[in-house]
Formats: sequence, structure tokens, C-alpha cells
Amino acid sequence: MSNFEERLLSALKEDVARTAREGMVAATPLRRGSRRRAVGLAAALTGVAAAATVAVTLFSGVSSPAFAVTRTADGSVDVRIKEFRDPGELETKLAEEGIKAQVEYLPGDQTCEEPRNGRSQDGRAGEPMESKIGSDGGGISFQLKPGQITAGETLVLRVSFDHARPDQPPTATSLRVVEGEVEPCTAVPLPEPDAPQPAGPEPTGPVTTEKFDTDGTGKDEAPSLNSHSG
Amino acid sequence: MRLNEDPAALEAFYRRHVDAVMRFVVRRVSDPHLAADLTADVFLAAMDSAHTYRPGRGSEIAWLYGVARNVMAAQQRKAIREVRVTSRISGRRLMDDDDLGRMEERIDAERQMRGALEAMRELPEGERAVLELVAVDQLTVAEAAEALGIRQVTARVRLHRARRALGDVVSPQAVYVRGQA
Repeated sequence: MSNFEERLLSALKEDVARTAREGMVAATPLRRGSRRRAVGLAAALTGVAAAATVAVTLFSGVSSPAFAVTRTADGSVDVRIKEFRDPGELETKLAEEGIKAQVEYLPGDQTCEEPRNGRSQDGRAGEPMESKIGSDGGGISFQLKPGQITAGETLVLRVSFDHARPDQPPTATSLRVVEGEVEPCTAVPLPEPDAPQPAGPEPTGPVTTEKFDTDGTGKDEAPSLNSHSG
Repeated sequence: MRLNEDPAALEAFYRRHVDAVMRFVVRRVSDPHLAADLTADVFLAAMDSAHTYRPGRGSEIAWLYGVARNVMAAQQRKAIREVRVTSRISGRRLMDDDDLGRMEERIDAERQMRGALEAMRELPEGERAVLELVAVDQLTVAEAAEALGIRQVTARVRLHRARRALGDVVSPQAVYVRGQA
């Protein structure tokens, strides 16, 4: 192998060693994937990386092309997504409204690996999580109240849908607020309907993933979704 | 797999796949520095998501290509916004002049495959993803399904549609020729 390959291997091994060291120290900066257990411990011990809650009302019956982002009189931001395309444009539009967002549109049988970032067990006081997702027409909408997403926080929206049938309701939708840096999505298969939740201590941040009521459209392949964390 | 805990397992995995990953990357980018960065990013992502690999469900390379696809997609979205994500390892910094030359040779060698990918660009995403992995990256249909997290029957249907859309293309060479027409 050439020098680049050998150097990269050394760098990756150093990363493994570093991860192993950090894994033994609970209060390490939160990262994703295999560090789940360390993350849970860190969150429990120090309460770092508070993930804010976001009260959202998702409803159906949207009518604009692709999406619309509008600011209402009371300062709320209404987001209506009719077609799950142009995620970058939606992010840009939200940025114009002062909301840093990361939007992922995934194949119908995939979701992003959890956790993508550190979360604590507690939401912000006084802001109960409230999330409803409806079907009908395949679109989603939600409203962000003023101050719900502050500087340094990112709105993370993930929608899993069958790209060959974009008119069908998504198989999974997840919306939450994450404090700090959000890492890129690593897609993984959606959990099987009866898959047991991973054991062990997990931070129970306000992650909401719900199945669309498909109104008898026969999506028996769709994994069951549940409000879960971790 | 315990790639992110066991250096020996990581090394074995890396040596098995580094060549395939570099080929995968240079089929999709033609900047040698970026290719080095992305090669590093793919292995980092694989280490971070190694617990999602289920040996019984498919080949290692299929799983790894699935990870690589996500890394590439994330990079492309970032590129549009002209943001380079800071990675834990900067691949380009690990290259000397010789490595740069070799990476450029790799990029040249895959020119035809980049042309094939270009020809597929207008296909719907779901169909294109399957055709890419089968025709360009040489996975079997079963492996492509595994990489994309879809059922084999779905992959077959999409592959069929994609080929029909491209005019009964049966080989990457044909895709390429058609793309140049």
C-alpha cells in the first residue's frame, strides 16, 4: 500500500485509541454512534448538551409547491412541506428566518443513526414536547414559536419516504431541536416493527418519531414507529 | 464488528476495503485532495456506525458502500453551501506528492465510470441509486439492496426501470456511450 493508505490507517487507529480513552471518561464531548453509552452517562452526570423541546403542530392539507416558510404576525414561523425535495433550499429559507436547520430526506426504509448528537434527559423547562403528525396528501406542516430555537441550536428534520412514490405519506418523520454541532446523517435501516429497543442507559431526549396513519393505503411494509429515544 | 474499539479488527477491515473505497470515491469526485478527505471520512463513518452492520444480512462491502453513499451525499449538500465540514481526520494532509500523483491516476482510471454516473443523473433518485451500485460499483442486486436498505425485489424493480429509462442499457460501457451521444 502507498504512503497515503498507511498514514490514513495510522490516523484511524489513533482515532480508535482516542475514542477508547474518551469512552472511559464520562464527561467527554458528545459524539455519535458507538459512543452512545458514554453519551448517556455524560448526559446523566453533567447535563451537558441540553436538547430543547419544540412544540410543533403538524397538520395536513398543504398546497404550496415543494415547501413554504412564512412568518406569522406573532413571530412564529410556519413551515409547510408538500414535496420532500430540495432540502438544501429549505435549509436556506429557514436560515433566512434565523433558524439553523438540517433537513434529511431519506429512502422509505432508512433513518438516520441515533443519536446524531448529544442530548440530555431534560427538555427546557416550561416547554413540553408536543408533536403530532398527520397524513393525508403526503405533506407535513409545523409551526415554530418565537424563541423556540435559539442561537447555537439546530432544527433537525428527517423524513423517510419511498422515493419511487413521493405522493405517498412518509414512512417516518422526526423533528427535534439539537444544541451544538449536528453531525451528518448516517443512514441506517428503520427499526423492524417489533425490534426491541437497545438495552442500557440511554438519554431520553425529546425525540419523536411517529408513523403516519396511512388510512388503509396498505403500507404493511412500513416499520412501526414510536416515540423513542436513543 | 468492533471497528471502533479494536485496532486489529479495524486494520483488517481497512486493508480489505481501502482500495474499493478509494475507487468508489474517485468515481464520484475528480479532485484528488477531496478524494483523500472523503476516503478518510468514509472510514470514520464506518467506524462510527459499525454497530449497524449485521453480518447475517449481507456483505461487508455492501454495507460499507451504503455508508460511503451517505458520506458522499452529505458532502455534496455541504459543497452546495460551500461549507467544508471539519472532519476528525484530514485526508489531504496525509498525502505527499507521490500520493497525489497516484490519486490522480486513480481518478483518471475511473473517468469512464464518472461519465456513466453523469449519464444517470436524470434518473429518479431511487432508481439511480440501484443502477449506480450495480453497473458502476459492481455490486450484485442483493448487495445493492443491502447497501440501500431496501428489499431485493424493490431493487430489482428499480434496476429494471432505470435500465428501461436509459434505453435497455445492459453494461456500464453502454451507459457511457449513451451518455456521450
